[in-house]
Formats: sequence, C-alpha cells, structure tokens
Amino acid sequence: MSAGATVPLLALLRELSWSHARHQPGRHAVAVLAVALGVALALSVHLINESALREFSAAVRQVNAQADLELRGPRAGFDEAVYGRVATHPLVALASAVVELDGVAFDAAGAPVPLRIVGIDALVAAALTPALLPRPDADADRLVVLDPGALFLNASAQRRVATPAGTPPATLRVRGGSGSLTLAVRGSVLADGPPLAVMDIAGAQASFGWLGRISRIDVRLVPGADRDAVLRDVALPAGVRAAAPDEAGERVSNVSRAYRVNLTVLALVALFTGAFLVFSVFSLSVARRLPQLALLGVLGLDARARLRLVLAESALVGVAGSSIGLLLGTGLAWLALQLLAGDLGGAYFPGIAPGLQVDAGALLLYGALGVFAAVAGGWLPARLAQRIAPAQALKGLGLAHAGAARAWVGPLLCLVGALLAFAPPIAGLPIAAYASVACLLVGGIACVPAALAALLRGVAPPRHALALLAVERARHERHAAAVAVAGVVASLALSVALTVMVTSFRDAVTRWLDEVLPADLYARGSAGTSGGDGATLAPALVAAARALPGVARVDAQRVTPLQLDPRRPAVALLARPLDAPERSLALTGPLLPARAGQVSVYASEPLANLYGLHAGRTFELPLPDGRRVPVHVRGVWRDYARQHGAVAIAADDWQRLSGDTRVNDLALWLQPGADRAAVQAALRQLAGPEVPLEFASAAELRALSLRIFDRSFAVTYWLQAVAIAIGLVGIAASVSAQVLARRREFGLLVHLGLTRAQVRAVVCAEGAVWSVAGAAVGLALGIAVAVVLVHVVNPQSFHWTMELLLPWPRLLALVAATVAAGALTAWWSARAAAGPDVVRAVRDDW
Amino acid sequence: MLSLRSLAKRYDGTSVFEGVDLEVAAGEFVAIVGESGVGKSTLLNCIAGLDTLDAGRVVVAGAEISALPEASQAQLRRSALGFVFQAFHVLPHLSVAHNVALPLLLLGRPDATAVSAALAGVGLAGFESRMPQTLSGGQLQRVAIARALVHGPKLLLADEPTGNLDAATAERVLELLVAQLRAHGAAGVLVTHSAAAAQRADRVLRLRADGLVDA
Repeated sequence: MSAGATVPLLALLRELSWSHARHQPGRHAVAVLAVALGVALALSVHLINESALREFSAAVRQVNAQADLELRGPRAGFDEAVYGRVATHPLVALASAVVELDGVAFDAAGAPVPLRIVGIDALVAAALTPALLPRPDADADRLVVLDPGALFLNASAQRRVATPAGTPPATLRVRGGSGSLTLAVRGSVLADGPPLAVMDIAGAQASFGWLGRISRIDVRLVPGADRDAVLRDVALPAGVRAAAPDEAGERVSNVSRAYRVNLTVLALVALFTGAFLVFSVFSLSVARRLPQLALLGVLGLDARARLRLVLAESALVGVAGSSIGLLLGTGLAWLALQLLAGDLGGAYFPGIAPGLQVDAGALLLYGALGVFAAVAGGWLPARLAQRIAPAQALKGLGLAHAGAARAWVGPLLCLVGALLAFAPPIAGLPIAAYASVACLLVGGIACVPAALAALLRGVAPPRHALALLAVERARHERHAAAVAVAGVVASLALSVALTVMVTSFRDAVTRWLDEVLPADLYARGSAGTSGGDGATLAPALVAAARALPGVARVDAQRVTPLQLDPRRPAVALLARPLDAPERSLALTGPLLPARAGQVSVYASEPLANLYGLHAGRTFELPLPDGRRVPVHVRGVWRDYARQHGAVAIAADDWQRLSGDTRVNDLALWLQPGADRAAVQAALRQLAGPEVPLEFASAAELRALSLRIFDRSFAVTYWLQAVAIAIGLVGIAASVSAQVLARRREFGLLVHLGLTRAQVRAVVCAEGAVWSVAGAAVGLALGIAVAVVLVHVVNPQSFHWTMELLLPWPRLLALVAATVAAGALTAWWSARAAAGPDVVRAVRDDW
Repeated sequence: MLSLRSLAKRYDGTSVFEGVDLEVAAGEFVAIVGESGVGKSTLLNCIAGLDTLDAGRVVVAGAEISALPEASQAQLRRSALGFVFQAFHVLPHLSVAHNVALPLLLLGRPDATAVSAALAGVGLAGFESRMPQTLSGGQLQRVAIARALVHGPKLLLADEPTGNLDAATAERVLELLVAQLRAHGAAGVLVTHSAAAAQRADRVLRLRADGLVDA
C-alpha cells in the first residue's frame, strides 16, 4: 500500500470507525472478548501442555545420561559383565552402570507412594548424570554416598514422604523388585520430576534382587571415537541396544501427543466461534453504516478502500482481542499449573509441578491466530462493504446487488470435507480429519443459500401479506440467510458433534466396562496404578485367596510394560487366564484358531492399529530377559484403557516363557451370600502388612472410570455452552443487522397499516424460521462432523473404535433449546423494528 | 374527509406548531407548503396516527384517529389511507405486482385484476413481474402511486412525491397523481416545496409555527 493510500485509511479509521465503535461499545467489546477468550483458551492449553511436557522431559533427561551412548537392556536388566567389556574398551572414556526399578515407598502414615529407584556408582556418575549425584546431608559423612543402605531423595519424593513436621524422614520403608526393606534417608538429589530415590548401585542390586544385573550403561567415548566400532567390539547381548540420545524425550512426547493435539484443537474451536461472532458484529456494523459507506463511495472512496477499511477494523478488533487473550491465556495457564500441576485430565504428567514456561513463538503464533480469526470473520462483511452499489444504497434499495457467494463453493467444500475424512493420519495425527471437519462446517454454511433456493423454488408467492414478505425476501435475499443462520449452524453443529462424540464414547466405554469387569471384587497391590513390579503379589497369595471362605473363583493378572518399539511408549502386557478369550476379552473381530507350536496372544485395538498387528499376524514378543519369541495374534480386542496398546496372553504361556510368576491384580468371584468385607479382611490378613491391598467392586471401578471419563470431557460441555452463547449473540447481531437494513421496509409497513407489535412479530417469526432452518442444517452438519470425529479422529488419535450413537432426545432438546433461544433473541433484537425510528426511517426525505 | 382541530406538537418542550386547523372535503386536493423544519412531515405523521399530539384532534373518514388505540389506528391506515413518499419505498425483494398488491393483501382481499388496473392507470401495464431494481426513479414513483391507490383509500397523503425526480418526470408524475386521485375520488394532502406542484392543488396552504394560513 502506498503512503498516499495509508493516510486516508488511518484517517478514516480514526474519524469514522472509531466514532462508530464509541457509539456501539458493547457490540465491539463482545467481539473483542470473543477473540480474547478464544486466544486465551488456546494459548493456555498450549502453555500448560508445553510446560508440563518440558518439565517432564527435563526430568527424564536428568535421570538419563548426558552421554554419547546409552546401552539399555530389557526391563529385567542384563548381565553386568557387559559393563566390564564396555568400561575397559580403549575408546570409552567413561562408563557408568545404572540399575533402575519401579518401587513403592511408604510415607509416615503408611500410605504407599510410587517411587523410582535408581542405583548408580556415585564416583563415576557425576560426570554423566549430575542431577543424580547424591548430596549428603550436612551432618553426614562424604562417603555415605557409597553406603548400600543410604537413600537420597529428590524434592518430589521428599515432599511425598515427609514427616508430619514437613522434614524428610530419617528412614524410609521401600518395596521394589523382590525386596522390601527400610533404608536410611541421608540426603538429596537435584533431579526434578516424579518421586525418585538414588542409592549406591551395589546396595540397589543387593536390596532388590538385582545381583549381577544392571538396567543400562551410560558411556562417554574418547573424542573422535567411532560409535559403531565400539558397539561392534563390545558385542552387546540379545535384548541390549544402543538407545538414541533423544529417544526417551521423544517417547515422553509421543505418550501425550494425540491428547495434547486434540485438546488444542478443541480450544481452537472457541477461536473459530469467536470468528463467527466477529462476522456477526461486522455484518451488523456494515449494515448500520450502509448509508455512510455508500456516501463515502459517492465521495470517492473506491470499493477496494472500503474493503480495506472494514478489514482494518476487524484486524484492530483482532489485535485488541489477541492482546487481552495473550495476557488472559498466560494468567490462566499459570493458574492451572498452580491448581492442576499441568494435568488437564489426561493424567499424562504425574508427579510433577511444572512452572510456567512462556515462549515468544507461542505468543506470536496464538496472537496471530486471533488476528487471523478476526480478519477471517470480517472478510465477508468487508466484501459486502466493497460491493455496495452506492447509488442503489442511497436510494434505499439495499444490497440487492451486493453480490453473492459462488453457489458451487459450499458443495465443493462439503465434497472436499468428505474426501479428507478418508485420508490417512499425517505424522500420526488426524490433521486431514480436522481439515475435513472445518471444510464440512464452512461448506455446510455456504450451502444454506442454495438449500434455501431449492426449498423455495416450488413455493408459490403466498397470498398473505406477511408470508409474502417473508418468502419473497428469503427467495431474493437468500444470501442474507447465510449470514443470519451462520452462527446458529456453526454453534449447533459443534454442539451436536461434541454431544454425539462424547455420548458414543461414553456408551462404548460403559459397555466395555461391563464386559471387562465380570468379577464381584478386584484387588491389587497398592500404588500399582499401571502394573509393573512395584506392586506385585506373590503366587502363594493367589492360591490362598482361592481357599478363602466365600470365594468362588480367583483370576490373577500380571501386568508389565513391554517395549515393542523404543521410539514409542511402552505397551502393557496382560497375562491372565484366557481359557475362553471370546468371553473374557471384548473381541472386535473373529477369533482365529490357535496355531500349533506357536504361542497365542491377543492384540488390543490400539496395538493392532499402531503396530499393524492384526489377527493372523505373527510378531516377536520381547521377554524380560531380552529374548524374543514369535507369537501369533489370534484376535483383536477392544481396550479403552491403554491408548498405546496392550497384549493379552494366557498366564500359563507367560509364566512358561518368562518364568515370571508374579501377579498384580486379582479378580474375585464371591459365593452367593458371601460377605465382601469379610473376604477383604481375610485377604488383607493373608497379604500381611508388607503388601497393602486396594479393593474395589466392579460397580465402584465402573463408577470411578465413568467419573474420570466425565471429568476428562467436562471441557467439552463448557465449549458447547460457549459455542451456543456465541451462536445466540450471532443471531442477535444478525437480526439487529436485518432490522437496520430493513428500517424503511418496516416503516412502510407501519404506514400501510401494520401495528408495531405486528412488525415485531414479523421480525420475531423470521428469526424463529431462520433459527429452525439453521438448527436443521446445524443438526445435519453436526451429525456429519460427529461421524468424522467418531470414525476418523478417534481411531487416528487414540487408535480405538466405537459405534456412532445418536442420542436423539438430547439432540432434539438441544435443537429445541437453540430454536427457542434463537426466537427469543430475535424477539429481543427486534425491539428496534417497533421503535419510533422505524416511522422516522420512512421520512428520510420528509 | 379530514378534519384537524387546534393541533399542537412539541418536541422536548419546544413547539413545532400549534393551532393547526384544516378541513379537507371528499375528493378535495390540498397542498401544504412551508419552510424546511416547520413540521410538515410531523403534521402528516400526526394525521396518519403515527405521531402523538400534544393538543387537538384529528378526524379521518369520520373516525377520530388521534383517540383510537394503536391497533385501530393501524386498521384505519390500512383501509382509508394511501401514502406516497419522496424516496418511493418500493420493496426491493418484491416484484412490481407484489409491491402494488401489498395493501390489498394486508386487507385480506388479494385482487390481481385490481393490481393490473392500477398499474395500467399509471402507465405500467405489463410491468407486473419486473423487479424494482430494473426501474427508473419515475417508474418507481408510479409504482408507489399505484400502490397508494390500489385499495381505494379515502385520503392520500403525499410527501414531496416529486422531490427525487427531474423536472420533466416530476411534471408527468404529478399529473398522473392528480389524475389518479380524481379518478379514485379520493381526497389528497400534498406536502411540497415546489410551487409548480402546489399549483395543481385545489387549495394551497402554508404551515407556520402558529398554524395553517392561505398561501
């Protein structure tokens, strides 16, 4: 733009736009607020997730080594003799052996606290893992770091096991691996993140049954050494591999990526609806200023300049909204991190308390998104201002020639949306599906005029005056209909889509819970939230439980993590009795016959989708000792609990292959009339004080699961409320714009013999009709979007499937509420149609 | 047909006019002239029951419109009054025929023959299906005249009906308006600045702050 063109634009903004905005501060404030809320929501979700992820990744990096090589073995560890070969290699400058295991500590009240136990050689680890370097208490001997009975806790662990006085305990009871013992707390470590305890490696090996085994070796090579040559020379045993330096961080990121992306997209929905509000407000603004803009046109402000003027106004709304939104979003993120510690419902970042980490890039990105949303919202009104025929407008002939969107745009966008729904995920994310949803929404709204034209094509002009006015107006100015219903269509479509998606998911989870919780009572070792070795139960306990009075049957389950792909999060291995898998697993497809000579396993749906392990496939199952055995996938089962995949295997097969006879969970079927409390007490007594048990009935687990589900999706209800509210503001703005644009028409009708109440009724009825039309389109569009969310976004994000469930009573209630609210909003907005201004409008020239 | 007695109108305590008296007989055509801002438009609004009076009474076709409730005022406007405006006010989304038919539809007696006759009367026979955007200013005003008279009103109120037209077109439109008024036997009140237009009336009055006087 030339300097000559800039000056008039700035002058017009200052003299015309600003004075107009000052006279309508409420409407512009609402538009600014809508953009601000959208930006704030999206930015805060991003900042919370990023802060939590960075904190978690940093904690992972601190525990892992700043090494050139990290030789990592299977979960059960590998022979420590490898360490000797590595440490003495001439190209290795420094090597540090590490033992890592998941344990449980017991706080002052005896409550279990999940604890990661890391055994290191303090003399060599300092250079490779400085965050794990033990820092003895002031009164402790320097050599206490080599004491096999000394523990050093990080800040998180210190907090969790603190004495009532708030100080670290002198001793700590710890369970891990096969051992349970009390250790002396002699200092701290700097490592952040979840509760962690560092001890001398020899002590860890001796205390927890790891003698002769280690988890990993951190290696620093001499400068210029060939990494591959070293690996060749040391001849790593099966199951031990050189992990990539960023592998752990990437895995942490992958764990929560789909969840974070979905949450961010949901937050961006608020920005999307904010754009609609800007659209409504500026449509109204242009309608209100039609004579002014027409006059400016006559005075020489060309069409492009009018376009630029309105776009500049919407950009200013965007800048103001974004500025407030960035401040608000940063504040919200800070508050959420204080209150929720970075967990927005997914529970992906346990045990950390991240501080707010704001990066300029995110601020710029979300600020720009806010401005973009506002400008996008102002685009059509700006085009309207551009297309004003000044002479016609001044003659009171409205925007009859103000131009119309091309009829093919809507259907084309819908078609593109439908095609995009079939596209595969991009980088593991349903990017194309999100684009599909956006195309369907925008395309559906763009189809409204054409749909209206098709609907009215066969309608003869009514013989009733008011009906004639409404029908002919709808027929000849149907593009105004798109403006009037856009807000309703967008907000209702989003609400319907979210309602259908959440209802379908909840129904699927409810039915799945009924299938996977067949027993009366469930028991597990405390702190064993996701299985693992920190909360295992002895096989003898299972046998004793079966003999308890009142117990009809006991099924034991072993849950342990498996690393199928080092770059992906671990999958869960579930070893349990599987005599009749078709009954005990929620199979999604056929159950293939077992193959002779091959162990059968059952892949969860996410596992099958992520790793391509569908029924009939064979793959190598890694065992704790590093061996891999080929197994045959007999079937795929539905699992909504483990997004990253799970393998079910018969307990007998697992014990035969791995020698691991431990179990984590017990499912108990009680005899009729048995006293649940008595069974629990007897089982607790059998387990003893060293193995605290947690109990829950199937109903309690079901209720708990659904409570967690509802909490996770609570944000969608807020989004629905925001979307509906914005849609209603859109109706108000649209009706107000229509009333403004039709003041002379209403004035004429009053002169021709209509009462003001009748004029208001006309506007209100038209508003109701538009709301009904918008609701019908919104409902259809919402169901289409829901199909994409349920059948594309969900499988591509979380790798599980579900049936589409249409909760008609709720949907119809939603539609009815929207229509009623729309009619009420129109009635409220139509006050101006019955005011004295309407009579005066006719006397423009009187 | 129209009787005004001691009409007074004030806005925010400031008098616009007062002491306005007028009698218009059936079929009589009266022109009112006056300076801008003297309240000519307000007077027309008061006659039509679209503005409140501060004093006086207005009787239209035997009914005291100023004393009627709003619904009855609207009914009286619908049946007994016709309007022609300076800015035409032809609805852009209705065809010519539908624009003209509007008063009949509001009365609940659609009559395509009457519409065609009204259009023929203003020289627009065959224009029924045309849209307003395709018409000239003179044609639009003729549509407005046809609409004002199609339902056979007893009184026509016209405000500067030629104000947006060139002199030649204005002359033709005014001639048409008077002819149609005579043909329908309706009384008329014309507000205008134009001396030429006023000369076509049976009587010409000047509106002043203290009432109507002969011009």
